[in-house]
Amino acid sequence: MKRPPIYGMLAEFDSASVLVAAAHHTHEAGYQKIDAFSPFSVEGLAEAIGFHKNNVPLVVLIGGLIGGLSGYLMQYWISAVSYPLNVGGKPYHSWPAFIVVTFEMTILFAALAAVFGMLALNGLPMPYHPVFNAPRFAFATKDRFFLIVFSSDPKYDSVQTRRFLESLTPKSISEVPS
Amino acid sequence: MDERSEQAGGKQAPVIEPGYTFGSVTDKISAIVLTRPTSTSWFIGFGAFFLVTMMLLYAIGYLLVRGTGIWGINIPIGWGFAIVNFVWWIGIGHAGTLISAILLLLRQSWRNSINRFAEAMTLFAVASAGIFPLIHMGRPWLAYWMFPYPSTMGIWPQFRSPLVWDVFAVSTYFTVSLLFWFIGLIPDLATLRDRSENRWARIIYGILAMGWRGSARHWFRYETAYLLLAGLATPLVLSVHTVVSFDFAVGIVPGWHTTIFPPYFVAGAIYSGFAMVLMLAIPIRKIYALEDFITERHLENSAKVMLATGLIVAYGYIIEGFMGWYSGNRYDAFTLWNRLHGPYAFFYYMLIACNIVIPQVLWIRKLRTKPVALFAVSGVILVGMWLERFIIVVVSLQRDFLNSSWGMYYPTRWDWMTYVGTIGMFLAAMFLFVRILPMISIFEMRTLLPEAEVKE
Amino acid sequence: MSTAHMRNPDLMAPLVVKTIGQRSLVVGVIFSVIAVAGAFAQPAVFFRGYLLSFMAWLGVALGSMAVLMLRHMTGGGWGMVIRRIMGAAMRTLPFMALLFVPICLFGLPKLYVWARPLESITDKHLREHLQEITRSYLSVNGFILRAVIYFAIWNALSFFLTKWSREQDQPPARDHSARFRALAGPGLILYGFTISFAAIDWVMSLDPSWISTIYGLLVLAGQVLSAICFAVVVERILVRYKPMSEMLKPDYVHDHGKLMLTFVMVWAYFEFSQWLIIWAGNLPEEITWYMRRLNGGWGYIGLFLVVFHFAVPFVMLLSRPFKRDVTRLVWLAIWLMVMRYLDIFWNIEPNFSNTLTVTWADVVVPVAMGGLWLAYFFRNLGSMPLLPAYDLDAKEVLEPAHE
Repeated sequence: MKRPPIYGMLAEFDSASVLVAAAHHTHEAGYQKIDAFSPFSVEGLAEAIGFHKNNVPLVVLIGGLIGGLSGYLMQYWISAVSYPLNVGGKPYHSWPAFIVVTFEMTILFAALAAVFGMLALNGLPMPYHPVFNAPRFAFATKDRFFLIVFSSDPKYDSVQTRRFLESLTPKSISEVPS
Repeated sequence: MDERSEQAGGKQAPVIEPGYTFGSVTDKISAIVLTRPTSTSWFIGFGAFFLVTMMLLYAIGYLLVRGTGIWGINIPIGWGFAIVNFVWWIGIGHAGTLISAILLLLRQSWRNSINRFAEAMTLFAVASAGIFPLIHMGRPWLAYWMFPYPSTMGIWPQFRSPLVWDVFAVSTYFTVSLLFWFIGLIPDLATLRDRSENRWARIIYGILAMGWRGSARHWFRYETAYLLLAGLATPLVLSVHTVVSFDFAVGIVPGWHTTIFPPYFVAGAIYSGFAMVLMLAIPIRKIYALEDFITERHLENSAKVMLATGLIVAYGYIIEGFMGWYSGNRYDAFTLWNRLHGPYAFFYYMLIACNIVIPQVLWIRKLRTKPVALFAVSGVILVGMWLERFIIVVVSLQRDFLNSSWGMYYPTRWDWMTYVGTIGMFLAAMFLFVRILPMISIFEMRTLLPEAEVKE
Repeated sequence: MSTAHMRNPDLMAPLVVKTIGQRSLVVGVIFSVIAVAGAFAQPAVFFRGYLLSFMAWLGVALGSMAVLMLRHMTGGGWGMVIRRIMGAAMRTLPFMALLFVPICLFGLPKLYVWARPLESITDKHLREHLQEITRSYLSVNGFILRAVIYFAIWNALSFFLTKWSREQDQPPARDHSARFRALAGPGLILYGFTISFAAIDWVMSLDPSWISTIYGLLVLAGQVLSAICFAVVVERILVRYKPMSEMLKPDYVHDHGKLMLTFVMVWAYFEFSQWLIIWAGNLPEEITWYMRRLNGGWGYIGLFLVVFHFAVPFVMLLSRPFKRDVTRLVWLAIWLMVMRYLDIFWNIEPNFSNTLTVTWADVVVPVAMGGLWLAYFFRNLGSMPLLPAYDLDAKEVLEPAHE
């Protein structure tokens, strides 16, 4: 598959408030495929670029359920079916004693699901990404805020889009090669 | 949000001194790792603790050759220093997750400047703790027998034993703490990747940052995952010391079998954990000139947490003592008598002094913001909490039901070498951490600045 | 800070408070008549229900005091908005002290085995045990003396908390937060100790040979849970009218929901710890307490509590929209108050009967006492503004919500 030579148009801003406003305008102007970059989590930025769906809680819930169920069933099967052993006259199926490991397994699986689910949904690890080619993008992890319009957006046009982004008074604009 | 408005009206010290920008916060914290030359005193300090770590390896090596007979343990006192130190270290480890998770859920944003190194402290403390049950087993090379795996021997772990619960609790705790710490580091690793001049540093930080670029979509999922992880870590951290307390309470030895143990152990763990946080934070903020980020507010809040948890611990002693007398059970009553008048009575009074009496000075507001005083009180609390575990483990086992099976416990130099060795290992690891990773969460500090607020 | 001030008349509780108070009084009086009549017919049965009912309503009053002191320690709008509800519940403590008098005067031998003459006890082991313990601790005089001390401490705390709070109804605006903190810190410690020993005296000693060191904390957690649920119920009633309709924001309700979740979990954690340790130890002097409560039909109550005092509320409270909506949260709050009652029932009643029995007194006395208590509570609620207008924190509550 041949990639388009241009990945998108990147505009740089110097404050979180300006970025959120710019993202709002861009989204309202009809640009669908956009993203924003910031050195910390900015309140309301995801909504501004039109991103609402978040599957992380679901993944965590599933992870927790799997962990808890497998934890309890494992103990039940081991202690009552596979290797029944009389210890202190306690029943083979000693549910009070099984709660602790069940709890720990629930937490363990849910936590693993949270971290690896989040990374997978974010498509990380990703060692190479076109946006790193932008000259000033290294400041996105320090004190600069960026907005990108992807070239895959149907409305994308290198002249029109640049003109539109300029109307948002950014600090700089650059076209990102892919 | 709450914090900022509170700062405006209240008289309290701020969480971060005014005048910083996103750029200067980033530079100041990352410079410690990236540009500041490694000082001679760092090398001396690290070298000294590295040598102590070598002593630990020597003690463990000798133990593997000779067996646990080189320690002071015997029958009836089969659980000596190893278990005392295990519980002490695990307890210390609690503060990191508590600061990171519970204070996050409570929206206490002052935590943002101490959570990173508190989490690192947790990892190293849990690692130090984990050594002890392992080497206490006698044949540590068979440690994998503790995990349920389909073995050719056809046998399985015994899930009615709290010692097996411990395996699950401690390994889960270590894993989740590691995940929590690592996911908190990702955005800062990206910062270091983009700031670093050295090619190798850039490659290593780049690999660890996994291509983080601060996308709004990523931040959105990241925040959710972080918050959920905090929600999971909170009951987990309480469960870990609860399970440790079950190691004792599930048995029927007088002094161990008492229902208050779970909350009382958890409170004690937080107590000692915050003491260790302060003992580390006070010198670090001085040496690396981080007084603007770790302010008097942090010291005072930590002191208040210590005061509150210390009082819960005191409640535990009093209720336990009262019930020993009220129950009319002669064994329980004897345990109490033995603590007060037995051969280890001196340590019991030391414990009361260190854990209950001396920390009451924290009621004085002025002392709560004096670094030197806090450092001293924290040291006293750490000693006190170690003694508490010593009393619980040794004094309870020493004289139980039958006086034909009474005994005494004297730690040997191998016990001391192992214990001191883990302290050395812990501190050496802290030295390395301070040198190669940002010890304060940069991206969370950015959110504390007034300019981080989005204005409509 | 003076701009946002409302005049005190605007902050008074709505008139509906008076109506509810009057109706509660009517119900309370009618049921009291029945209860007193029953007391003459079956005094032993009456006092069982009486102790149960007393512990349940005491939980709301004392728990409110604890939450109030917690608010003074931590601050926050969630506590400001229910501060006067908590205060009104706390000011019923003199009434609770009065209600304790009949237990001291007439109830002791009917309730407590240690208050009966030793010769009347047939169980030899119990008699030997009681010989020791009644001489030193569980004596009638000691019991009454300790009760006087507990009530004195609680009422003293309540007195000062109310007095300083009342000063904040009048100008000038004053910052009492340091003073409140100085009282609330030691106050919480005192509460922790007094309620623990009161729990030992009043409930645990029903079975004098059984001990559990976590018992005080269990009662404490239950009281705080009752109080926070009660506050949610009252704020739901008041939110239909001014001024509560302007004060109560979804964020505050969310915080109340979180507190409910926390204390549901804390309660379950303490209960499970106690159960697991005693189950695993399996010592005859301890496990018998659970044997009574798990056999003869009592076990169904225990199972019901596990599911409906913990599991179901826990899952419901995980939902964020649910916690933010007071009109839905209130139903769970009412339910949890019923569960608190059932939990106390399950703690007290199996001491008297081997098989599951519910007597008339278990129903009539709580309603009678509750009617009178609520009448007193609503009178208190109407007597002071719903917000101390001259507290510096009041501004935050009076501001319109951001959302």
